[in-house]
Amino acid sequence: MKLQALTDTAGIATPYDTIWATAAVPTKPPQGIERIMLAEDKLYVVLAVVLIIWFGLILFIFRTDRKLDRLERTLQERLPEANTGLSS
Amino acid sequence: MAETADIVNLRRYRLIRNAVFVWLTLVVLGAFLLRIPRIHILEHTARNLYFHVPMWFTLMAAALVSAYHSLRYLQSGDPVRDLRAREAARVGIVFGLLGLATGIVWSRFTWYLGTSLWWNFDPKQSFVLIQLLIYGAYFVLRSAVEDPEKRGRVAAVYNLFAFVTMPFLLYVLPRQMESLHPGAEGNPAFSDITHPIMRLVFYPAVIGFIGLFWVLYTQRVRLALLERRLEMRKATMLEAKS
Repeated sequence: MKLQALTDTAGIATPYDTIWATAAVPTKPPQGIERIMLAEDKLYVVLAVVLIIWFGLILFIFRTDRKLDRLERTLQERLPEANTGLSS
Repeated sequence: MAETADIVNLRRYRLIRNAVFVWLTLVVLGAFLLRIPRIHILEHTARNLYFHVPMWFTLMAAALVSAYHSLRYLQSGDPVRDLRAREAARVGIVFGLLGLATGIVWSRFTWYLGTSLWWNFDPKQSFVLIQLLIYGAYFVLRSAVEDPEKRGRVAAVYNLFAFVTMPFLLYVLPRQMESLHPGAEGNPAFSDITHPIMRLVFYPAVIGFIGLFWVLYTQRVRLALLERRLEMRKATMLEAKS
């Protein structure tokens, strides 16, 4: 990969999707949530996407954690006197 | 039953875990700091390529891992294979749901702008929802069968079926129809339209998220192994009592 090809991002790029790129662009000013998301050249849409992934992963880690808690409780409550062999 | 350390290489796990965290941090930095071409309608949301698309690669990798272990389960009958197939499918679904949610938000503020639409039955989106439901049914099926051996066999066969439907639902069918996605009917393929600077971040992002899948999956496998050992202990204790 040539360095110049990497850094040259100024040129006209092909629209992602020709069907939609040629569709009429809405003329009325954006309202409500769209006004927020379209600011800064739509950078906040990327932020929203990253946050969705971040929170989704956190949720999953919490669920794993809860399962771990349950396992620890079972070990302590139901088999208090038994050597469960888990520490070995 | 064998110790966890015999089944999961913990040293390798920690090494890969740390590498994945550093790697993904660099990916996020690259995703936001590098300049990209300005594209009409997309603008900065083109950067979602680094986050939305790797979710699908990760789902497919997870499905592949899951199907592999299901196949090995059918060959060997080893319960650990069944447990690995289950956990890979579980983590895979998480990435699939994240891919779906990110896609909904992305399309809402680009192509569906001014229409107030969150869901417009884009073929790829609809088919992937079906695929996720197919994987959801895998867990329903598992909970419906009591006997572990029978459950393992039935679930493994179903899981292989679910894996086989994936290329059709995610590739073949959506490409025959009009869609927002590249490679669909009338659209250029990914390789024709993606600037080299974006590939520089995109491919590492795919590797990074698949690595993250592997870390989460290994955590769940370790947990499931512990659970299984505890249950076996309980069973032997009950036997000893009676």
